[in-house]
Amino acid sequence: MAEKSLDCLGEACPIPLVKAQKEMERMAVNDVLIVNVDHSCAMKNLPDWARSAGHAVEIEEVGEGEWDIIIQKLK
Amino acid sequence: MEKKTEHYDVVIVGGGPGGMTAALYAGRARLKTLLIEKSLIGGMATYTSEVENYPGFPEPIDGTELMKSFDKQFRRFGVNVKLTDVREIRVDCCTRTVSTFRTDYVAKAVVIATGNKSRLTGAKNEDKFLNDKGISFCATCDAARNTGKRIMVIGSGDAAIEEGTFLTKFASEVIVSVMHDEGIMDANKVAQEKALANPKMKFMWNTVVESFEGEEELKQVVLKNIKTGELIPMDVDTCFLFIGYVPNTKMFEGLIDMTSRGYIKTNEDMETSCTGIFAVGDCRDKTLRQIATAVGDGAVAGYMAEKYVEEMDYVQKEIFEAKGLTMAFVYNAIDAVDREFLSRAEKAQELHKGKLGLRRIDIYKSDRIACRLDYSKTPSLIFMQDGKVIENVTDLSAIENKIAEMVAKHG
Ligand SMILES: Cc1cc2nc3c(=O)[nH]c(=O)nc-3n(C[C@H](O)[C@H](O)[C@H](O)COP(=O)(O)OP(=O)(O)OC[C@H]3O[C@@H](n4cnc5c(N)ncnc54)[C@H](O)[C@@H]3O)c2cc1C
Repeated sequence: MAEKSLDCLGEACPIPLVKAQKEMERMAVNDVLIVNVDHSCAMKNLPDWARSAGHAVEIEEVGEGEWDIIIQKLK
Repeated sequence: MEKKTEHYDVVIVGGGPGGMTAALYAGRARLKTLLIEKSLIGGMATYTSEVENYPGFPEPIDGTELMKSFDKQFRRFGVNVKLTDVREIRVDCCTRTVSTFRTDYVAKAVVIATGNKSRLTGAKNEDKFLNDKGISFCATCDAARNTGKRIMVIGSGDAAIEEGTFLTKFASEVIVSVMHDEGIMDANKVAQEKALANPKMKFMWNTVVESFEGEEELKQVVLKNIKTGELIPMDVDTCFLFIGYVPNTKMFEGLIDMTSRGYIKTNEDMETSCTGIFAVGDCRDKTLRQIATAVGDGAVAGYMAEKYVEEMDYVQKEIFEAKGLTMAFVYNAIDAVDREFLSRAEKAQELHKGKLGLRRIDIYKSDRIACRLDYSKTPSLIFMQDGKVIENVTDLSAIENKIAEMVAKHG
């Protein structure tokens, strides 16, 4: 189970989503991708997309207005 | 992977204005409270940049800013927050389990505040352009990147017309597709007048979406005139859908009563058909879905959850942690026969004063206490020794003898 971080600080939509989607394609089942974001719009689309694609998502609040979106690839 | 279990007094599902207000009240009542949100705290209110009708803010305030203040306020009261999605709520007699991917949260009371999600058109190729590929539900999120672009708005309600007007500050042209005849919109009159006077807004009356076209990204929306059948292709950079909402309640089907459209039925105390589960805000069956009404619902539910938890704790202490021999008389207060047996039980207890306690458990309003005793009918007399059931008597014809016998044996 590999773990990879993706720094998307300062990046507005749709960049975090596009980057995460590309990264997920390269990963194996059960690998974990941690996307670090600070634009609230990414919090609206990234978790929903990942869940609708069948993955498990949890989010950690790193600080005010900054989050780690933790996606475990499930298929 | 083993699932973890954590215990709370109250678990709130959904972190919009309704859920946050319930959390504020529950936290302030010193209940051990958890709020679970699957994406951004703030819910639908973060989808608008101008809230004009939330009291206390005389000038329009950005929805996201307003929600940040809600967020700061409820966290002052020691509420825990988890950012993950709830997958299921399970119910047994005295606990409700809110289940996420990794953890089961066992709660005495649950508040459902899952709100709504945007409705889709169902037109061809729609799913190809969701997830930031050209179809959007959030003007505030996507306004800036449409600066100088031509965009489309579908719908004619408050959200469509108000958000469409807001978007004219950025876009060069906002095309509004309206299903109704020329001049007819569902939005409030003020919003309609502003929109009609706005030179950047163009209305396509009697139209619905036929299909969405493009390669990777949306390039064109094909509208269909529902009167003439004519297809009208229009090149746009983003298409905003504001054609209504559907409640996020699918997972509660079969657990609690809902309307045919999936809205949760509650009474005015926000109680659902399942005791210990409350529902607030937009996911509830009600007339006006706004921040102000979600807040009102949340306050009531937070308060009711406090009362409910207090009662559960009292029962725990008085019945399940009671020392020595006690009997619980389970009855329905509106049943005359039940009441007659109760008075016989009371008289019999008098005779054995100090040897056994009596708890009256009326199921008329709810059997949430009685069900913990596994009662099968009323009236029944349940004998308990140090908080454990030792005998459940349903044939009460010789109630006095039975009580005397139990006192002799266990008292
Ligand atoms: C474009 C737009 C403009 C608006 N303008 C105004 C306005 O000017 N004034 C006004 O008063 N109202 C306005 N509203 C309406 C207002 O936003 C809503 O009435 C209000 O947000 C409802 O609050 P709520 O807490 O019930 O639900 P929501 O705000 O919808 O919050 C529900 C939350 O629950 C979360 N959730 C759902 N399912 C789960 C799950 N399974 N697990 C965990 N979390 C979950 C969601 O992610 C969401 O954050 C507007 C709405 C929109 C869309």
